[in-house]
Amino acid sequence: MEYLSTDKILVIDLGAALVEEEEMDEALVEQKIGGIGITKYLYEKYMDDDPIVIGTGLLSGTTYPASASAQITAKSPVTGKVCHCPVIYKLGVEIKYCGFDYIVVKGRSDTPVYLWIHDGVADISDASDVWGKNVWESTDAIRKFVGDDLLQTMMIGPAGEKGSDYAQVCYNHWSSPDRFGFGKLFGARNLKGFAFRGMGMLEIAEPEEFVEQSLELLKTVKENSFLENKGLAPVLDALGEEGAKEWMDPVTHRHSADYFTPYATNTAFFLDEDPGLLKESKKEEPGVLISDIHALIAFKKLGLSASDTGQALKACAKYGIDPFAVATLGKKTGLEEITGSFDAITGTIPIPGKGLFSPWCPAGPVFNDFNLSGDDEISAWWERRQAVAMIFGIQPVFALMCPELTEESMLAFANIGTGLELTQKILDAVIDDICG
Amino acid sequence: MGIQINALKCTNCMACEMVCSYHRDDGFAFLSACIVAYRAKEKKDYFGVLLKEEDVLVVARPDGTEINKLGEEADPDREADASAKPMLLREGCDLCEDMDDYGPMCVAFCPVDAITLD
Repeated sequence: MEYLSTDKILVIDLGAALVEEEEMDEALVEQKIGGIGITKYLYEKYMDDDPIVIGTGLLSGTTYPASASAQITAKSPVTGKVCHCPVIYKLGVEIKYCGFDYIVVKGRSDTPVYLWIHDGVADISDASDVWGKNVWESTDAIRKFVGDDLLQTMMIGPAGEKGSDYAQVCYNHWSSPDRFGFGKLFGARNLKGFAFRGMGMLEIAEPEEFVEQSLELLKTVKENSFLENKGLAPVLDALGEEGAKEWMDPVTHRHSADYFTPYATNTAFFLDEDPGLLKESKKEEPGVLISDIHALIAFKKLGLSASDTGQALKACAKYGIDPFAVATLGKKTGLEEITGSFDAITGTIPIPGKGLFSPWCPAGPVFNDFNLSGDDEISAWWERRQAVAMIFGIQPVFALMCPELTEESMLAFANIGTGLELTQKILDAVIDDICG
Repeated sequence: MGIQINALKCTNCMACEMVCSYHRDDGFAFLSACIVAYRAKEKKDYFGVLLKEEDVLVVARPDGTEINKLGEEADPDREADASAKPMLLREGCDLCEDMDDYGPMCVAFCPVDAITLD
């Protein structure tokens, strides 16, 4: 695969401590396009080993607006289904440039390990120094060991090591869209996590046309009035959560975006620091970065202040447990009770549709109505929209906001970028294969 | 004429970094960009933009913009910035002089108009 690709698939056998590479076959892209089209294919190819598969979308890390996402595909220990979890922040793009389009992890290591993947090299590294540490300590320790603060991680904390059903694979220091207990899968394999760093380059079949069309699309996207806003409070408000801004304002610091995403879908709370501080805080851990819309709403509905919610989210991120599960299944209303409840979280959280995609994403359109009406139409649209976003690598919340990011445009850019002739018929078949 | 950066409007999305590197390499990468999203202080939510011009390094932080002449000693009161070092090895901003249809790519592609041409 010559364009928009590193041309390599990485297969890691933890049990045998073996790392192998496969060529990325162009015919596979012509058949499955990319993202979860291919991670699902790879899951099925190695099904006997019940693998964890990580992949990027065909447009991830390009100039296509919001091309931020990668994906984890694995069988959820919570639902028993093969599910797809978005990879957000700057992590998806780091994976795209680390030298491998897809990573298959099979087997179980005898001792704790983490996978250090950088510039086309993959190492199975000893994790005995970080096993037992929380997510923040682990990320900091590996960054310090490698000597690179920009290294991006997927890590589990104590929840994953102890085998909690709602153990979450966290990204850098922060909670993730993992509602599937993928952290438990990592822990069961003695896999503390991944560290990624990528300095690679992707070739483009028609670079000038790709970039020119990207700018035209971005200009159209920027005409949306919702882009006058930033952060999670307007999203909560759009979802009908009244008083969100007033609730969040006392601790809101700044808002940030995932890679090349026009809307800032992350909000930082400052908890032990003046939220209005513009200078660099002298405190090492002044707050928490939040992307989990439903966890915020769930803690708010329990009657917590935004400050206590931030403290609870920070504690969840360190422990590596799904904060939404903690809020909705634990139902504790005091901060100490919440942080003391992590090991006792059990039960079921609702997963919409066929249960393939993370309910971390709002279950319908945000800011724009996409001309949808009725619960059935919205539900079917949501499932298809999630599938499309994760085939091409589009930030999945922004995909719910922005009608200009159409299937037609994603296909057109994929063809300009790769020189292939991917069609709507192929995309429909890939979506059918994913969604059943 | 020069690039102006409003670090308070910036959302740290790295679009500037990607398109600047594209301008140098004709491929998608981050290696050659003379403008980068500063994101090394992640836990402190402290981010901004670094821009290497011909003779100076512009450091646009939320608390203000600092212009450091290349080769001069950095402010001893500030912690050394790991992101700045590789920047010094890169080519300085040429305002994308060969990109007639765009002007500076970082200005054209900034999704939140945090980068402008003065």
